[in-house]
Amino acid sequence: MNYPVWQLGFPGGLLIAAVAVLHVFISHFAVGGGAYLVLTERRAYARNDSEMLGYVRHHSKFFVLLTVVLGAVTGVGIWFTIGLVSPEATSSLIHTFVWGWAIEWVFFFVEIAAALIYAYHWDTLDRQTHLIVGWIYFVAAWASLVVINGIITYMLTPGRWLETGNFWDGFFNPTYWPSLCIRTVMAMGLAGMFGLVTAMWERSPLRERVVRWAGWWLVLGIASLLPLSRWYFHDLPSYSRAYFNGAYIAVRHSLRGAAVCAVVALLLTVVFALLRPKMMNPVVVAVLLVAGFGVMGSGEYLREFCRYPYVINSYIYANDVRVGQMEGIVANGVGKSSSWVEASAENPQAYGRQLFVIECASCHSVSGYRAMRRFTRGWDAKFGSEILLHLPVVRETMPPFAGDEHDRAALGSYLASLAPATPSGASEKELGQQVFAIHCALCHSVGGQRRPLDLKGTDPEAIVGIIGTLRDINPDMPPFTGTDAEGRALAVYLSSPSQ
Amino acid sequence: MNLPIPYPDPMPLPAPVWLLRTLLLLTFFLHVLFMNCLLGGTAVALVCTMRRKSSAFSARLAGDIGRLLPSVFAFTITLGVAPLLFLQVMYGHLLYASSILIGVPWLAIIGMVILAYYGSYFFSLKGHEPNGKTTVVLALVVLLLASIAFVYSNNFTLMLAPERWLDLYHSNASGWNLNWLEPSLLPRYLHFVLGALAVSGLGLLVMGLRQREDGYRQWLIAQGSSLFTGTTLLNFGVGFWFLVKLPGPVRLAFVGGNGLATALLGVGMLLPLAAVAHLIMAKAHKSPTRQLAIGISCGLLTVAAMVIMRDVLRNLALAPRFSPNQLPVAPQWSIIVLFVLLFVAGLATLYYMLRKVAIATMMQVAAAQKLQ
Repeated sequence: MNYPVWQLGFPGGLLIAAVAVLHVFISHFAVGGGAYLVLTERRAYARNDSEMLGYVRHHSKFFVLLTVVLGAVTGVGIWFTIGLVSPEATSSLIHTFVWGWAIEWVFFFVEIAAALIYAYHWDTLDRQTHLIVGWIYFVAAWASLVVINGIITYMLTPGRWLETGNFWDGFFNPTYWPSLCIRTVMAMGLAGMFGLVTAMWERSPLRERVVRWAGWWLVLGIASLLPLSRWYFHDLPSYSRAYFNGAYIAVRHSLRGAAVCAVVALLLTVVFALLRPKMMNPVVVAVLLVAGFGVMGSGEYLREFCRYPYVINSYIYANDVRVGQMEGIVANGVGKSSSWVEASAENPQAYGRQLFVIECASCHSVSGYRAMRRFTRGWDAKFGSEILLHLPVVRETMPPFAGDEHDRAALGSYLASLAPATPSGASEKELGQQVFAIHCALCHSVGGQRRPLDLKGTDPEAIVGIIGTLRDINPDMPPFTGTDAEGRALAVYLSSPSQ
Repeated sequence: MNLPIPYPDPMPLPAPVWLLRTLLLLTFFLHVLFMNCLLGGTAVALVCTMRRKSSAFSARLAGDIGRLLPSVFAFTITLGVAPLLFLQVMYGHLLYASSILIGVPWLAIIGMVILAYYGSYFFSLKGHEPNGKTTVVLALVVLLLASIAFVYSNNFTLMLAPERWLDLYHSNASGWNLNWLEPSLLPRYLHFVLGALAVSGLGLLVMGLRQREDGYRQWLIAQGSSLFTGTTLLNFGVGFWFLVKLPGPVRLAFVGGNGLATALLGVGMLLPLAAVAHLIMAKAHKSPTRQLAIGISCGLLTVAAMVIMRDVLRNLALAPRFSPNQLPVAPQWSIIVLFVLLFVAGLATLYYMLRKVAIATMMQVAAAQKLQ
């Protein structure tokens, strides 16, 4: 609200996710890969294995090309992207953690220098010094994870920081340690995964030796994930844990996706890397990479989802509105709170569109990802305006509407204009079913898990009476805004919903 | 007129302004040195690859620059992160707003950096045997780097011009904008690009001074001298153009209205003249190392003066509306001390690694000479 909104035509969060998941995938490899390089080199020296040493040299070049270029630049890319999509939250993070980032920058600098020296001075440095440079790289890379982990976890669980505002309270927050452990084992697993990638360029029998060695890294990484994830889950805020109760399809799919990817990766690695390394081939490695990307992507998605309705828990909402400013915006209206909207009394829908951009577009599109057209089909302007009063009840993941009555009417009118439809049906019951879909199904189900309405067998006249007094029954319910005939049809449907 | 300037973050600054500004300017100075060597160096390498058939030294220089490019690129980026961080603490509310308005080109920087970075790796692997393909790749790298610099010039001028923001937002809210209406945009950009070429001339001088082979050494010094002198003299004209195109009050500040700004402009004009004079004098000397060293130092001090001047210009342009000095400050001393300690440890680690590499390289060279 304080800033202009970059209107992409799709939710900006998707852009952050695309850049972030790519970065996270490579940057975790950059951390674990450091340990992999130096331990593989040490192993080659200990066994006097010149072939293995040749492999590590090749791997180090690949490592630098991937991590120092794509890994590092996409990291800067996240910064650019979050500044464009969530400037308010980015500003807040920078003000809270600028010195954490400055420290991370020191590690980043050492990390880059060490990576370049390690990869390009195999023939210049003696073995021991080369190994020391490798260790310096790994320690610096892991230390940068140690720092950034504090900032990422703070966003979900700021803990005591909310009362004290103290850097350390925010940094060492409730999910700090489980998250650090998960990220560390992920890093080790990914090191093995990319070790398999470069192993495919080697010839037998070295190839099998490398495959088995890298396979162990991957297996241990994946196997450690389950207990650590349980620990992480245990330390999540209770409202976030409730998102895993099955009500949210996206959460269900992500969980299943992560589990399937992890199991596939584990099985493939055990079979093709540990038991039959001769059979490991580029197709299996490609499947492993996809599975690894799936685990990582799903995990990051779930972590982000757990944060809803906030971007910084209890401090800034997902739409970049500060919790502390909500009261003022509701009292004064968006027009007086933002320089980027123009209130128009003549064209409320045009004003409503501007409000949609500023309040909803960070998570919703009109007809693409999380399409509003799907949710608002058949709405009338009054219903749209009323439902905006109850957003956190409709979905626990939604922030409350920030605006006054005039704003609410304008946005409601705009939302109602997205997918106009008049309910109709061959029978009264059919009509009632459609009215239910429009007016009730956002929050309720009939015979389902989500806030089930069980009025089967109730006299339709009695239900009509209930429909007329919804707000008296529960202040969190918007009044019914359909016609009398629609109300009657809804009552008939609820009275005997079975087909 | 009511300008749409976002309110600064309600949190106090986590360090005194002097400390943030010092770190901003110091890290930006280092970034600029590497960035100039990168932009200017790739341009020089491109010219060299095109002249490779007529000049053996040109072909050799292209290869030498190619070997350095990935490291220079890496440190340009790494050293660019820190000033961007400190800039955001003090001026973030302005920078975010202007970045959003030019969102597409601004984010495209990331893609362009990745492409240019891989291009520079390609050139570093193939640059010692330049051919048509390496020339094309290098030309693309130069083009990408020049485009990145242009987008930066756009954003850092737009963040100072909130009076243009609403028009841009209403004309295109999807971020397909540039700050074309800024009168100082082109001269500012050209001033910085010519400066980058001049600094890469200093880089050639340093390469020449470190070179043992006499013929190549003389050639590098001659080329570096000419490049620095030519572009610097040209930059006086462009600099004047830049000054003329600055907003009235800011321009007046630099020509007597503000003591610091005027002094900096004077120093910023005298230092490059001194550098040029020493480089010209070096040509007449039998052992020109001292003159060259003074010339290079004056050149580097010019960059430092320009970096400070750029900061003064920003503050003058914002002065009627905003200054970081207005913001509340609540320093996080414990973490600042930790940063300083780790920074020193980081420098020591860097020194340790570079020293080991230098010693090992020297020993290798000595061993190779013994064998010959």
